[in-house]
Amino acid sequence: MTKKRADWRDYDWRLIRGEPVPVEMNHALDEVLVRRVGSGERQPTLRFWDRQGPEIVLGRFQSVRNEVQVENTDADGIAVNRRITGGGAMFVEPENAVTYSIYAPPELVKGMGFADSYAFLDEWVIEGLRSLGIDAWYEPINDITSSGGKIGGAAQARRHGAVLHHVTMAYDMAPESLPRYLRIGQEKLSDKGITSANRRVGPLRLQTRMERLDIIEHLINTFRERHGLRDGQLHPDEIAEAEELVRTRFATDEWKFLLP
Amino acid sequence: MHHGEYKTVGGKLVIADFRIRDDRLCDVSVSGDFFLEPAEALENINQSLEGLPATASQEAFAAAILRALSPDVEMIGFSPEAVAIAVRRGIDES
Repeated sequence: MTKKRADWRDYDWRLIRGEPVPVEMNHALDEVLVRRVGSGERQPTLRFWDRQGPEIVLGRFQSVRNEVQVENTDADGIAVNRRITGGGAMFVEPENAVTYSIYAPPELVKGMGFADSYAFLDEWVIEGLRSLGIDAWYEPINDITSSGGKIGGAAQARRHGAVLHHVTMAYDMAPESLPRYLRIGQEKLSDKGITSANRRVGPLRLQTRMERLDIIEHLINTFRERHGLRDGQLHPDEIAEAEELVRTRFATDEWKFLLP
Repeated sequence: MHHGEYKTVGGKLVIADFRIRDDRLCDVSVSGDFFLEPAEALENINQSLEGLPATASQEAFAAAILRALSPDVEMIGFSPEAVAIAVRRGIDES
């Protein structure tokens, strides 16, 4: 008998409200938590991120040379990180972005194509944004957009027997300094969502006039009502494991310059 | 160093960086904002292009990539053809 596709309500979802951590730590936590959900050591989890500083984040398959003005990020002390999912480069400042990760069992998206699974895993966010008065919709493969402009982008990786799905949304306009760090022409800017100072981006602050933390609270409540969600936290051994991964992998040049 | 780019219909950018030595591709590095499962398959894509004659057609590059990928590899937002176009452009435009 083949296992049928699971429903959100088949799981005991846990929430992690992330403390501000060093920027590499968020990427290491994605690796640790997706592995633990895959092995069954942790319940399926929704984690909201916070950061201690700004960062450039490259997709897993992007080359540093092609995307980043390293002489400028070096000069200004901006961290350049590589995440474990594909997708495009972003310049993220802690107060300008809303980022979350979903760590889900693969049965939740069983039989779905990749494009469908992106939209499926973010249905709750679309609902949450709409109830704030934003006419948000999913633009395949991985964009969350609205008539007020692009809001954010998602990225997925299937690893260690689980699905990692994370999303970064623009809370505020990207700073003028963006073109100083990322190698993107004006035309490509419009495609870069969070990174873009282009008017085709529709940041959440502009569209709701709400505080960033209030928006996050609203989204958490939407998830809770729709799928069920219990408050949880990072376990000390998860934190220790992620810190070790920062040291051995995520903060190393070998990883950051994996594609030079 | 040769460098070719191709933006797919879906908006993903595929980049090919490589050298040409004795009329053959070498040091091939494919990159971009696409998705690929498993991630390690990127090395198979690079390897499949290594040593191919620079005179080969776009179709030949695409076929070589396709041959090198096991059936469980998923290219999301790009394709062997998209990589082949980026390679061909890198040869023709440099």
